[in-house]
Amino acid sequence: MASVLITAIKRLTITAAPTRVYSSVTNSVATVSNSSLDVTKKEWMFPPAYTKPREVWIENMDSVEEKKLGLFELHPTVFASVPRIDLIHRNVTWQRKYRWISWAHTKTRAEVRGGGKKPWPQKGLGRARHGSIRSPLFRGGGVIHGPRSGTTHFYMLPFHQRIYGLTSTLSAKLAQDDLHLIKNLELPSDEPEFLKDLIENRNWGPSVLFVDDTDIAPRNITVATDALPHVNIMPVYGLNVYSMLKHDTLVLTLAAAERIEERILLLLHAITKDKEAPFKLDQV
Amino acid sequence: MEWLGSTLLKTFWRPALNSVRTRYHADKTRLVRRYGYEEKLWCGGLLPRTLGKPLPIPEYRPYNPWTEKRAQFGQNDYIDILGPGDLHPVKTLYSVPSWIRGVHGKEYHILLRKKKMWANTGSPQTRPTKWKEMEKRIGYLYRKLNRKTKSGMSNE
Repeated sequence: MASVLITAIKRLTITAAPTRVYSSVTNSVATVSNSSLDVTKKEWMFPPAYTKPREVWIENMDSVEEKKLGLFELHPTVFASVPRIDLIHRNVTWQRKYRWISWAHTKTRAEVRGGGKKPWPQKGLGRARHGSIRSPLFRGGGVIHGPRSGTTHFYMLPFHQRIYGLTSTLSAKLAQDDLHLIKNLELPSDEPEFLKDLIENRNWGPSVLFVDDTDIAPRNITVATDALPHVNIMPVYGLNVYSMLKHDTLVLTLAAAERIEERILLLLHAITKDKEAPFKLDQV
Repeated sequence: MEWLGSTLLKTFWRPALNSVRTRYHADKTRLVRRYGYEEKLWCGGLLPRTLGKPLPIPEYRPYNPWTEKRAQFGQNDYIDILGPGDLHPVKTLYSVPSWIRGVHGKEYHILLRKKKMWANTGSPQTRPTKWKEMEKRIGYLYRKLNRKTKSGMSNE
């Protein structure tokens, strides 16, 4: 008798729970509206095997006060991996070095003007023998072993280390509550004060990085961020480890979060021999 | 009459009297020795340098970590991962001259590449001295690396 009751209750709860709608299309989104809260369950092309998806609030941008518009799921492989600090450091070091060229330059004795004539005869003057006034011994002469212009520090960090650098940084940001999700970048006004108040009110760091799917942002947010040098907008393809660390808070739009997941998951499960191959100059 | 008035005043107005028991050192007038003598030497401590050039202190320029260049540093470095996948990040290093973009090598190899890429431009004609010096340096490094050092010894 009791077991029958329990099964009946179980069935009841199952029917009452919001049904997860799966569609055959990969990376589809099933939205369950429940009292004005959007709860989004996602079906990825590569679903997480052992870990649960991370649920993150979707926040609004049309008022200074925070309103929660719904829940969004983030893939744990991308947003909840082990934050390897060593990899993050390697990525930042690489970003600083691979574009760094030292233009420091010194002239050798051959390049300094003049110095062709023997300054004084070899013998008979009681002075030291010299052949050129541009010798390194002379003041104003050439420099030995000085820096020569165009010293590069270029190297490419291995492809997968760069992917794991991204996932590590994103995971660290999410774990430290420095990653927020918004629907889109639409603001009600173009005043920088509004954006400043919004950032202050939500306890976002002084510096905020907004990331959107496209590289064309709405007018209001571009005008507002123009006046705030520490609030920046970036498209997904411009996102990088250095900027994520430089800005205190990372704010992703839903489309941006989905694009990041899609690209990283695809590359983690694809054959990337061509991308792992050593960097060749003339190939690029 | 005068006597009467003074006695009346004395009976009605009696001010409170207090004997002064403290006399501070600072309030005392002191004996000034050698009055009228002016001390020629300065005894008031160190003086600022008012004559001649000021000390070479560099002008204070506060560091702004949020200039546009610094705020955008590193953008597009992961464009091959997060972008469409057909663009290499080295191709986006627009601030670096093309002949040295993505190059790794010692001075000799960088000069060889520079010479190769600049040979067909107007550079040999417009900057003949620079061109001659570069060729001279390449020749010097060739002789040094091939005839005077073991391989892997020199860092030039």
